Amino acid sequence: MPTVSLEVKAVSATTTPAPGMKEAPLVAKLIDVSSCIGCKACEVACQEWNDLPPSVDRPFTGSYQTFPDLQWNFWQLIKFREILREDGRLEWTMTKYQCMHCADPGCLRACPAPGAIVQYANGIVDFVQENCIGCGYCITGCPFDVPRLNPQTGKVSKCTLCSDRVAAGLEPACIKACPTNCLSFGTKEKLLEIAHRRVEQLKERGYAHAGIYDPPGVGGTHVIYVLPHADRPEDYGLPRNPKVSWALKLWKGPLKWLGHLIVFGGILAAFVHYLRFGPHRVREEDSPPS
Amino acid sequence: MADRDEIQRFTMAERLIHWAVAIFFVYLVLSGLALFYPSFYWLAYVLGGGPVIRSWHPIVGVLMFVFLAAMYLKWRRDMRLDDLDRQWLRQIDKYIRHAEGVPEAGRFNAGQKLLFKTMSLMGLLLLLSGIPLWFPTRFSRNLREWSILVHEIAALVAIGGLIAHIYMGTAVVRGSMRAMLTGWVSRAWARAHHPRWAREVERPS
Repeated sequence: MPTVSLEVKAVSATTTPAPGMKEAPLVAKLIDVSSCIGCKACEVACQEWNDLPPSVDRPFTGSYQTFPDLQWNFWQLIKFREILREDGRLEWTMTKYQCMHCADPGCLRACPAPGAIVQYANGIVDFVQENCIGCGYCITGCPFDVPRLNPQTGKVSKCTLCSDRVAAGLEPACIKACPTNCLSFGTKEKLLEIAHRRVEQLKERGYAHAGIYDPPGVGGTHVIYVLPHADRPEDYGLPRNPKVSWALKLWKGPLKWLGHLIVFGGILAAFVHYLRFGPHRVREEDSPPS
Repeated sequence: MADRDEIQRFTMAERLIHWAVAIFFVYLVLSGLALFYPSFYWLAYVLGGGPVIRSWHPIVGVLMFVFLAAMYLKWRRDMRLDDLDRQWLRQIDKYIRHAEGVPEAGRFNAGQKLLFKTMSLMGLLLLLSGIPLWFPTRFSRNLREWSILVHEIAALVAIGGLIAHIYMGTAVVRGSMRAMLTGWVSRAWARAHHPRWAREVERPS
């Protein structure tokens, strides 16, 4: 993996174009669910590399899963699910869950703070906490329910795809730690090739619905999965058809223009009315009493 | 004050409530525009920065709603539309052009009454839709999406109303700013702008 640039491609709440001088290869993380053994080495590596404080105050819920959900200081999680198949067999799925690094990130679209969310030319979507105002619109904009608000600092955080490591030519910490090659990192093009080969293998082994999870509703993602049962993404805790929501598109599209029209059109209309008709004069006039 | 050539239009309480709503509302419009449209984000810097307006916008919103509710209770009887008001609305173009033959207005004209009703309703919608946006982690994503749209549309209607109201009150109907500040208007002003109300007040009791 060559050193990939952290050239910025898109910046939240910014109308001027991003610098975008250098081209960078699109990177991706591939998660081959069929070869995950649920060891959680990736979770540990993530906490260690990102120096995230551990939380010991959260309840355990009697599951193999480390925590019920992602947290502001817990950016990736293996979801353990027990699925009863139609033929009566039990399937135990283990699915690494984290930010998907969408090509069309709903969080970035929703963010009102300039520079709080950036998308690099290599596809990584990163939160810049210094610029974050803690409004939580990214949480609403995200179709994967990933960003988490730290109530103490009022800042939102999530998986960075180890943008700091990637910028230095290293693979993300979770990938470094994976003992089964369930996780791999590289250019998206190359990983899609590997994923297609893996899907063929799975099909030969009887997984008729094996497939790749790279949802088109968000323009594809830079975290892609090989799923043995790609017809049932819910079994892995993945949304079936994630997309940038219609509410977000309305808000940042037609309603934005309507808003500007009302503000500036309203002021302009008042001004023109005054030029044409002036103040409302009355015959006796409201002269101050003598 | 019987010998004075002026009549009282707004009591001290009415003026206090009006200006509390006005100041809070202007803050909410400026900070809200910064939060909703990136082209207005510079307002955030003027108002102390993004995190500051993110904290204060909802709190000021609740404060405004309290005063808006007080205003509603105080004025709701004076704001009922009657038959003459409906005639007024049908001939609103005459009012806009300052033409003759506009049906006589009471204490408030039909335009003011409609503005009052609209602003009260929008205030309620803004409060209800604002709560999920205030505490995003406590409500479902679906509800937050609806809240954003309701909050935005209600805010835009209210901003339109605010622009019209400020323009009418400062530039067009001269004397109304003084009425809202001091509480008093001249008899001539009352007869010209609110003839039915002027007769009512001037009638010897």
